[in-house]
Order: sequence, then C-alpha cells, then structure tokens
Amino acid sequence: MPFALLVGGGIYRAEITFNLLESSMAGNYLKCARARTIPAGTVNQDSLYEQAADTCGSSLDRLARAYEFDAEARRDLLQEIHFQLWRSFAHFDGRCSLRTWVYRVAHNVATGHMIRQRRIRDSLVSIETIEAMPDSNDPGELAVTQAEALDRLSMLIQRLKPLDRQIIVSWLEGMDASSIGELTGLSPANVAMKVHRIKNILKRRFGEGGLHAE
Amino acid sequence: MPNEFPMNDPQSVWQNQPAEPLKMSATDLRRKALATQSKARYAVLFIIVVAIICCVVFAWSFTGANTALARMGYGLVSLSMIYGAYHAYKWTWPGNLPEEAPIDTCLEFYRRALERQRDYSHPWWRSGLPVLILTLLGVVMAAVGTEARNAPPSWLLALGADKHPLLNALPFFLILAIWVVAFLILRKKQGPKTLQREIEELRAFERENRW
Repeated sequence: MPFALLVGGGIYRAEITFNLLESSMAGNYLKCARARTIPAGTVNQDSLYEQAADTCGSSLDRLARAYEFDAEARRDLLQEIHFQLWRSFAHFDGRCSLRTWVYRVAHNVATGHMIRQRRIRDSLVSIETIEAMPDSNDPGELAVTQAEALDRLSMLIQRLKPLDRQIIVSWLEGMDASSIGELTGLSPANVAMKVHRIKNILKRRFGEGGLHAE
Repeated sequence: MPNEFPMNDPQSVWQNQPAEPLKMSATDLRRKALATQSKARYAVLFIIVVAIICCVVFAWSFTGANTALARMGYGLVSLSMIYGAYHAYKWTWPGNLPEEAPIDTCLEFYRRALERQRDYSHPWWRSGLPVLILTLLGVVMAAVGTEARNAPPSWLLALGADKHPLLNALPFFLILAIWVVAFLILRKKQGPKTLQREIEELRAFERENRW
C-alpha cells in the first residue's frame, strides 16, 4: 500500500513537473536536459528586456489577447511571455531586429500555450476555410462602436490556427509582408496572399473600411 | 455611423484597444526564474527520492525472497526504480529556455511542437511508461514466485476460494491489460492522424516558403 501511494504521488508530482516545464520552457525537453542552469541575468539582458518592454509592451498585451481570452489566464500568459523574453535575451546576438526577436519569442510562447489546450486547437481553422465559409453577418450590418468592432475582430482571431493567427495579429500591428515573413518563416509573396485573404474577410465583416489599411 | 473611420479600419480598431502593458522588474524576473527552477526541481527531486526509497525496499525484499522467480521480480522492480530516477533526472531536470525557441521561425516552432506531441516525446512517455511496464512485470513475477510455494491463505479459503490467489487476481490483470491496450490504441487513433496531417501541411508550407 505505501508503495502504491508513493508511486501515485510520484506520478502526480510528475504531472506537475510536466506542466511547469511545458509552461516555462516552451516545450523543448531535450535542450532543457542538456542545459542545467537558469542564467542569473546580465546587465545587457536586463537593458534589452527594458527596451523591449518599453517599445513593445502594448503590442505584447494585445498579442496575449489574441491567444487567450480568459482575463486571468491571459495575465499569466503575458507574464510568461515577458519572463521568456527576458531569458531569451541572454542569447540575443543581433541576427534579426529586436522587434522581430520579441515577436518571435512572444508568438512561440503563446503558440506553446495554445497547443497545450488540445480541445481548443482541434477546432481551429485556416484563413482559407473562413474565407470559403458563408458570412453569418448581415452584410449591411456593420459594427457601430469600437468595442463591437473589436469583439468581431477578436471572434475572428479566436477561430484561426496558430500560423494564420500570427499573420493576422502581425498585420493588425502594422507589420509589412516582409517583416511578417521574417517572423513566421513564410515567403513575403505567401504572406501577401494571406493578407489579401484576411482583407477580403474583413471587408465582408467591417465593410469597405476594412481596406483602409492597405 | 457604421462606415466611418476608425470603426471599419481593423488595424486602427486593434491598435487602439485599451492595453495594460506589463513591465517586470529585474528583481521580479530573477525571483520568478529562481522560483520556477526551484519548484520544478523539487518536483523532480520528489520523484527521485520516491524511486530510491522503492528501490531500497524492493532490494531488501530481493534478499528475503525464497524463489528465483520472486528474486528476479523484486530485482526487476528495483532496477526499474533506478531507471525511473535516472530518467527523471535526465529528462525533466529543469534547465534553460531552449536556445532555438526564439531563433526558430514561428512556422518551424509550431511544426516541431506538433511533432513532439505526435512522437509522445513527453518525458512521461519516454520514461514513465517503460518504468510502469517493468514495475508491473516485476510485481507479477515476485507475486507468482512468492505464492508458488504457498497454499491459498486461510481467510481466502474461508471466503470460499479454492483456487490459487493469483488466479483470483487474474481478472484484475486482465482488465488492466485491456485498459492499457485500449488506451494506447485510442490515443494512436485520435491524436497522431490529425497531427500528422497538420505536420505534413506545415512541412509543405516550409518547402514552399524557403526564401
């Protein structure tokens, strides 16, 4: 009996460990096993983090909103993004711009967060699928308030698969096709095509104004 | 005024939403790093200590076993505990943020995360399942070895059992085996197929988008 209790406790503890590791390390166990310590942090790491938090703080908050709709869980996700961002700056070598680096870490952490919620992940669709779907909104009925428009936009984002979500969020943040390509790994032509589709969908849902941001 | 700016400019709507930018202080970040590390390490340490205690208990039973089969069983459980402790240390001991996480493009990161999920590269599947199977096998061997010499205990006879106690335990092991097989089959059927499809799509996307 004590053996069963110990094993049971061990399994329970193991589950806690997995959750912890998954949430804190974006899920790469092999690498985790080889690197044994969390860096204590350097001045450069701190200053890079400060710079990133100052310049991209609001964007990161909006990014977290695109991935997590529960306020409390979103707060945790945002903290996790900031924490991983700070840790990642120990390896920042300037091979890409600070902004691209920040968005990559943030999207990757948020994607990891989303992947763990398998039930949600299985119901997500691509931009192409949404574009092909008949629009449930009355075409003449456009959003009248900022909050309504934001709700509609959020609902659209909620249904998208991670890659498409990254594209739409980056585009909404005002990034161009080439920057989105650098971030996601897609070619600028492919990004442009996806953005075109996004605009078509938004045009249907927001009216002609959806094309203001060409 | 439905068509007026900015309601129908999604970028403006998105960027103008109320935001609560977060900024953590260097002290908070270091404290969180230490707390995360300590919490995860304690959890792993707990598994290691449990495994070592079990290893000692079964090694002690090994010395007192009266048949070779029972000795082999206890030995197997004892060794599986050492194996479990080693894997807990090797695969789940917390370390750094993987260097490639931020460097990877989002497409690569997403594909790799799905592949890891498909391959059950979760530490539990890599180390927990073999430990569980070895332990169960060892327990069965030890029980068979120990009970082989014994007649059914008197309380079991009083309950009307005229068979060997292990035969009474057979339904339990049978149900356990069916459960394990069904669980593995269901998991294989549900997960990997859809995951594989998505991984293939992402791979095709990666090939198409090399620039």
